[in-house]
Amino acid sequence: MPRPPEDSRSQTAEVISVESLGADGVLLRVRPQEPLPRLRGARFFMLRREDRLSPAIPRPFSLYDQAGDELVFLIKLLGRGTRALGDMQPGARLRLIGPLGNGWPTFTPAQPLVMLAGGIGSVPFLVGIADALREGVAAEDMTMIYGAATAAQLFEFERFAALGVRVLAATDDGSRGFAGHALECLAVEQEEGRIPPDAWLYACGPGPMLAAVERLSRNTGVPAWLSLEELMGCGVGICNGCPVPTRPEGPLGAWNNAKCCVEGPVFSTDAIQIAEN
Amino acid sequence: MPSLAVTLGELQLANPILSASGTFGHGLEMEQFAPPERLGGLVSKTVTLRPRPGNPAPRIHETEAGFLNSIGLENRGLETYLAETLPEVAGADTRIFCNIGGESPEEYARLAALLDERSEIDALEINLSCPNVQGGRLPFSTDPALAERCVRAVREATSKPIFAKLSPNVSRIAELAVAVEQGGADGITAVNTLLGMQVDWRSGKPGLATVMGGYSGQGIKPVALRCAWECVQAVSIPVLGCGGIADADDVLEFLAVGCAAVQVGTASFSDPGLLGHLAADLAARLEAAGLESIAQVRGSLERHLSAK
Repeated sequence: MPRPPEDSRSQTAEVISVESLGADGVLLRVRPQEPLPRLRGARFFMLRREDRLSPAIPRPFSLYDQAGDELVFLIKLLGRGTRALGDMQPGARLRLIGPLGNGWPTFTPAQPLVMLAGGIGSVPFLVGIADALREGVAAEDMTMIYGAATAAQLFEFERFAALGVRVLAATDDGSRGFAGHALECLAVEQEEGRIPPDAWLYACGPGPMLAAVERLSRNTGVPAWLSLEELMGCGVGICNGCPVPTRPEGPLGAWNNAKCCVEGPVFSTDAIQIAEN
Repeated sequence: MPSLAVTLGELQLANPILSASGTFGHGLEMEQFAPPERLGGLVSKTVTLRPRPGNPAPRIHETEAGFLNSIGLENRGLETYLAETLPEVAGADTRIFCNIGGESPEEYARLAALLDERSEIDALEINLSCPNVQGGRLPFSTDPALAERCVRAVREATSKPIFAKLSPNVSRIAELAVAVEQGGADGITAVNTLLGMQVDWRSGKPGLATVMGGYSGQGIKPVALRCAWECVQAVSIPVLGCGGIADADDVLEFLAVGCAAVQVGTASFSDPGLLGHLAADLAARLEAAGLESIAQVRGSLERHLSAK
């Protein structure tokens, strides 16, 4: 049975600050009781307030940034769980379980790559881009395409743009950058020769976008990795609440589904099947 | 230090705190958060004869004070459990309860017979009450005669202690408790999840793909406590209380109604480290109250009522 990562712990963390971002985002900065080493992009933590009965179960959040011994989460306010976290006051404590999940795979030097972010799916790329640069991917071989419905939902676009790699905006309403989806933007960039056709793909975003990346990778044979978000009850591989269908012929095909929390959240598209063909 | 040791029939437990099936893995998956030796016993996720792929997603949905699940007993089957999981848990310094699920008395008996040979297992827990299979019909935990047949079939197949896990989704749980005692159970686990559901009124979409599922968590504690008490009054075998337990006070409430021990489930999702310190919390709670043993708490409700 897959186990939670060896470096994961259940501890509490102190809220340092909660800062509003745009219409429906918050930056939550916390200091864990026990400091953590530098973590890979796309690893995640389960967070829960303990000062009230509800929400009863923690919620998974990808690591956004680390600053000294503080962890930073970029949270889109969607329901009771996220709002409860967004209402926290500095000095309060919350339950912090992690780091969990696998994170992005080790990046391959000299291999052009594209990071495709859809809305709040940008979160695992801030650290991910730094990981890739550290692991020898040249800045000019990397493009991030950051898509969202509107310019106001391109959370912290300038921070990504300041990382030294090419970052393109794509908005559904054309309010910033390319008018259309991140994948449509990718097609144009490739057609016009600014991104090589064999660039590997790393994607995080809404389900339909990830399914489209899976189909693209399947059709072109270009390797792709998806960082998935699923409902999770525990985050540590116990509850079986976050099944991801596997491809029978793929590396995880021995069982019909994988656990997103302990076998992901990053999966290569040859291992899983989220698109309906 | 107050004494936490408990005896369940012939089984000695270091403390009265067990993990509830399905919330602590099959084996030692949780050991880095809650070392198994801190638990009185570790109850496995339900093992079935053949592998079960489980139900479609969404399988979980949070509600007030708890959550709904419809996992559908996903597991890789008895063969994998015997070959991979049991050797792993053999070294754990705690009691190992294997929870089994079947679709007929014969299937339960076959599982019990195959597990009877394995010395790593201290006891069997018979899951008569999973609401997420067989369309939520719960045949074995709503019909006393069928429950008794299931337990008797297991009784005849194993010499290990057996505990029957009952469902709260019945009118008179005491009748089920009596039936499983007559079938030869050494103890009762009361209770499994309550049947529940959730719907988004805008879209009409259910919270769970199977529509109905099992509701667990702190919201069910009053119901679970009532069920446990009804069982305690109806039988002479030990009752393990289960449902909504999240801290030492909750544990003591179940002991007060007469439970011999308890199981903790959903609270391990809120904090996977909970069972690593709950027994110590319990000891501290007793000490602060000037008590030397959990035996002083057990059955205090009955003593209170009869003194009136």
